[in-house]
This record gives sequence, structure tokens and C-alpha cells, in this order.
Amino acid sequence: MSASNLNETAVNRREFLVRLGITGALIAGSGLAARKLWQPNHFVPGFEKEKGLQLKSYAPEISKVMPSLAIVHGTEHEKIIRAAMGLLGGMERFIQRGDVVMIKPNVAFDRPPALAATTHPDALRAVAKLCFEAGASKVIVADNPINSPTGCFFKSGLTAVAAEMNLDLMYPETNSFAPLSLDGEILKEWTFFNTPFKKATKVIGLAPCKDHNLCHASMTTKNWYGLLGGRRNQFHQHIHSIVSDFALMMKPTLVILDGMNVLMSNGPTGGRLSDVKPMNTIVAGTDMISVDAYGYSHLLERDIAELTYLHKANDRSLGNINWKDTLYKEVTV
Amino acid sequence: MASDKKYGGGGRKEFVRTRVPVVERVASAVILLLVVAIGLAIYHKGKIFDPNLYSVRSDALKSTANAVEGKNGTVPSAPAAAPAVTEVPKAVAEKSAGGEEASPEGGAEGSATPKPAEKGQPLEIALAGTKPMGDTEFYNSDTLYEKIDGRSPAYQSFNVQALRCRSFAVNAAAGSFVDVYEYRFDNPVDAFGMFALERDPKGSPLDFAPDGYSGEMGYFYRQGAVYVQIIASDVKPETMAVAKSIALNRAKELPADDSGLAGRRKLPADGMLADSVAYVPENAQGQSSLKDVFQAKYKFDGAEIPFFVMVASADDAAKAWKSFQDFCGKFGTVENLPDASGAKIFRAQVFGKWKVVYQRAGELGGAFDADDGDKARAFIEKYLRGELK
Repeated sequence: MSASNLNETAVNRREFLVRLGITGALIAGSGLAARKLWQPNHFVPGFEKEKGLQLKSYAPEISKVMPSLAIVHGTEHEKIIRAAMGLLGGMERFIQRGDVVMIKPNVAFDRPPALAATTHPDALRAVAKLCFEAGASKVIVADNPINSPTGCFFKSGLTAVAAEMNLDLMYPETNSFAPLSLDGEILKEWTFFNTPFKKATKVIGLAPCKDHNLCHASMTTKNWYGLLGGRRNQFHQHIHSIVSDFALMMKPTLVILDGMNVLMSNGPTGGRLSDVKPMNTIVAGTDMISVDAYGYSHLLERDIAELTYLHKANDRSLGNINWKDTLYKEVTV
Repeated sequence: MASDKKYGGGGRKEFVRTRVPVVERVASAVILLLVVAIGLAIYHKGKIFDPNLYSVRSDALKSTANAVEGKNGTVPSAPAAAPAVTEVPKAVAEKSAGGEEASPEGGAEGSATPKPAEKGQPLEIALAGTKPMGDTEFYNSDTLYEKIDGRSPAYQSFNVQALRCRSFAVNAAAGSFVDVYEYRFDNPVDAFGMFALERDPKGSPLDFAPDGYSGEMGYFYRQGAVYVQIIASDVKPETMAVAKSIALNRAKELPADDSGLAGRRKLPADGMLADSVAYVPENAQGQSSLKDVFQAKYKFDGAEIPFFVMVASADDAAKAWKSFQDFCGKFGTVENLPDASGAKIFRAQVFGKWKVVYQRAGELGGAFDADDGDKARAFIEKYLRGELK
């Protein structure tokens, strides 16, 4: 190549600087873009450490005049639950027109209702009815039983109630779970039955009151265990810690403890009518720890001092174990 | 030389490439755009990633269960190490789909996945008026929690081996059903132990199963090493009739085996408080020589008498009796009573409570912790005469 040819195609200083500037800008832009897209732990798309979801609070505003705990004695589910809600200010205090309400029953086992190991269908029917009366647009019923969900819902009688009341029965499916993050005593990152919470604007826990082989009692706080996925039985070794964490994980709109028929022994499965004692009581409230404290001492008729998970939750200011110190009302209907 | 200075002399390579062809410029632009597009695609995929998309399809692993033949042949697996993917119970599979497969964080806790229970013989009950509601479910000790959750540790403490269960619809009562649970333990004694732990004090004895009772909604008994629970969905006569038929059927079909329960058979039924029957494997009454002891409480002449019995060799029974007598003498007062019905007997008052202990051949037993020494003696003498059935 001759010198004249080189002169024709050569870049001058200005053009060189312009090109240098463009190149530098591209490199800098790439660096900034990479920084924006970079994830510190893993950058293998699809396998990166996800930040788990954190449940929002569904709790109502704290009232200084309205009771936070209602205790009602009687013999008919609907009548008693209606009375309990009346004492708390009516279901309208908790459910507004257009709300999508998620009711979390305890359907852990495929047991018939009479054995009191699961949420009673009459209790679900009554709560759902009150929700609709308050203006709820939809009522979702969801639980993640360890055992076959269809069998548990069917045998507990809740499938029939859902059909009768046109409730949205939500079984756990493969894609129903999402990772949950919590700064709990033991619950940090865990898979969670999340699908119902994508739609729900209000959450009601509806639990039976029953004996539990490992943690003494299963009531409204322990009920949230049924939202965990995976091999959650490994938490059994730290059951009081995990149950107390549920008071941190879940801030429900309302909890209702069904103490009409209480499984007094051989829980949580039961199996004999002789394990069941009619206590004819419904306890409803906004503080699950207070509700359970009443349930343990007055329905299971045991010493509250031994129920470690309630004390743990109380010590972490997640609820008040001294239910008598709360604003409560008690009636018989 | 002038050109050398202008374009880099001094021995360095000349800079000669100053015109980039259009094709190359276009190709460069395309590559750059592709890099950007790939980056965006990766970012987008990461955002919408569904972990289940990459979950293992266990069916796809079935082919690997077979040993490879020929040049690349592998050593066949031992039966115990056979892949578990071929025998996943329906209920377990359902749960895997619902929970475990969808829970990558679940595995992060470091707990090993339990081996699924092997499918055994389906629970077939050929009875008129019933119809199976689904397949037979199978669980082993590791997976039992999937069926009974927090109740499983109690069964594991008695060495439960397996659970086989199935539900049966009652044709004569719409919506009614009967659940059949068969818990298999490692031996009849452990099956008895779990049965006794859950015993209903109000249950009525069964004539077809000595260790059994009926409750208001079911039948519960031990047959061999199996603890059977027949639970009705309600108390309708039709449902309870089917429950009883199934209970009779299972008692007939399951093999009887009372190994290790000779002591249990010695406990009389007369006056027994049903829920008080217990098995103490060792160190009964605080005595190292008292092993495999069965005990129960009895209502007798207005008093409550706790009674125990152990069956061993005559030599061991005699040694245990002497050892127990020495112990009582050390901590209380002992009175030797006249032999009765071929048994030697002593009565002792220890820490304010009465014991009346006998030994007859390989049988050692007695009343303990009784408030009334005379009634305890009368109970034992009546028992030895065979007047308590």
C-alpha cells in the first residue's frame, strides 16, 4: 500500500477522538447496564436466590372502644358465631363491600366432623354467610393438608359446604407456592401456599380447639402451619418456636376458635368420640394469642403456664397472653 | 520514511486498516444488538422464572432403574437400594406435587427426603354393602406424618413399621364411609403398647379380639403385630353395621400372634379399669429384675388395686421375687404369708403403701401401691384361686 493511499483513508485527530469517545461511552454504558442487571449471589437466571415474599397485614385498625375478644357460649354454630361477631362490632367492622375473604380452616386430616380434628362444616357455613352478608364479593377457602387435600376437604364436610355456599375452594397445586421470608425465631425462608393471598383482601382463621401430641394444643395460632409447604414436619423438633413465629408471619383480619366440640385427647388426629368433649363455646378476636390463651385454659382446661409457644409470642409482643387484660366481652346465647 | 513516522514507525507494525467495509459494520451492529437482546432475554427469563419448569419428572428416571447390559454394563442395585421412583403411593405423589416439588427452599434445610413406603397388598374387603372410595394408601415409619402428622411420633416411639389404610363407602347410607387403618408394628408387644396408650376408658370389650374395644364411632383392637382402627364417619346404624362387619373381617383375615404377651393374658378381666392396662418393658416397680411386665388397675371390694404380672422362667421368677422381697425389707416392713394355691407370697408396707407379691412357677405378680393391705391380700388370693376371670 502506497503512502498516498494511506493518506486518503487515514483518520485525523478529531475523528480519532470522536471514535475514542464513542467507544468509551459504549464501554461505560455496558458497565452500568451490567451493574444494573447484576445479582450478587448468583447470576444464573432462574436459579438466583429469590427474595421471598412478606405477607402484608390484614389486621383491622386497633380500636380503643371496640372489644378485641368475644367469648360466646351456646349450642348452635351460626347463632353463637353471629353473636360473637356482634360483640366485636359486627362483621362489617372487618369485612367491607367487595372484599375477597380468605378463610383458613384446619383441614389437616381426612376425619369426619364428629371427631373434632378439623374445622366443623357448620362453623365454615356460618362464617362464610356472615362474610357475604357484610358485602364480601368472594370467599376463598384454602388449606394445605399434609394428607391428600381432596380427601381431607371431602371427609371433613367442607367440600359440601363450599358447593352449597358457592365458596372458592382452593387446593394447593404445584404452582401454588412461593418462597416466604420472615425474621422469625426459626422461620426464615420457607415455601408458602401463596395463591390465595394474591386475591384475598381479608383473612380469617377458623380453627378447631384440640389437643396436640407435640405442642399440647392446636388452636388459631397453630392453624397457620397449614400454609407452609415442603417437608414442614422437620419443624416438629422446634414446634413451639415455629408456632410462635406464626404470630409474626400472619396478621389476620380475625381469628375464630371453634370450641363447640373440643378434642381433649389423642390429638391432633383423634379417632374416638370419647376424645371429644362438648364445650359449646366460640371465641373470636383480633389477637390470636389472647384467643388461644382462653382456649387453652378454659376449653382444653389446662394450665396456660405449660403452653410455651404462647409465652414466646407474648414475650415478643406478638399478642397478649393475659386475655383478661384485653377488652373482651362474654355472653351466653 | 515520512509515512513510517505518520503511521507508527520505530519498528512497530504499521496501522494500515483505516476503512471498515459496510458489511462488517452491519455485522458488528447485528452482533451488538444480539448481545443486548440476549442480555434482556436472560433478565426477563430470570424475572418470570417458574422453578417447577425444571422440576424432576420422576417418570423420566424410570428407565435408569434397569441395569445397563453389555459393554457399558453396571452392577445391579441391591433390592434395598432400588430406586424409589417406581413405587410412589398416590397420596404421597399428590403431596409431592403440591408441596415438595414446589418448594426449593424446603430442601435447603438439609433434611434428607424420606424414602416412600413400598406398596404392599391392597386392602381388599369383599363385603356386601361397601365400595372402596379410593386406592389403598401405604406409609412407612418415615412417611407416617403425611397421614397423621403430629401424631406420628407417638407411633414411632413404639416402632411402627407401616400403615396401610383405605376408605370404604357405605352403600346404604349416602355420604357415609368407614376408614380402615392397619398400623403394623415390629412385634405384638409394641402393637399392644400403642393400642393401650390410646385406649378409650369407656370402650366396650370385643368378643372377637381380647385386646380390643368398640367406641361410639368405631372399633379398635390389636391383632398380632397390627393395631387396627375402624373409624365410621357417623353413628348411623347402617354405617356402624358396616364398621362392625369390617372389624370382624379384619380380625379374621389378620394372623393372630400373641408372642411376648403371655403376661397380658394373665391379667384378669373382672373389675379391670380398661384404660389402665399398660406394658412396662423394664425396671417395673423400680426393680431391674422385673421386665416385660403387664399391669392394670382393678376395682375390688370398693378399693382400687393396681396389679402387675410377669411371665419368665421359674428360676428368673424366683430370683426376682426374692430380690423384690429384699428391697421391700430394706425400705419397709415385710411379712411372709402362708403359701396359697401353689404360690409363695409376701406382704410388705413400703412408704405407706401395701404390696402383696407372689411367685408361682414362672409367674411373678402382685398388688402394689394399695391403700388397704387386707384387700390387696384378698385380691391376690382370689386371683391365685382362679376366681378372677
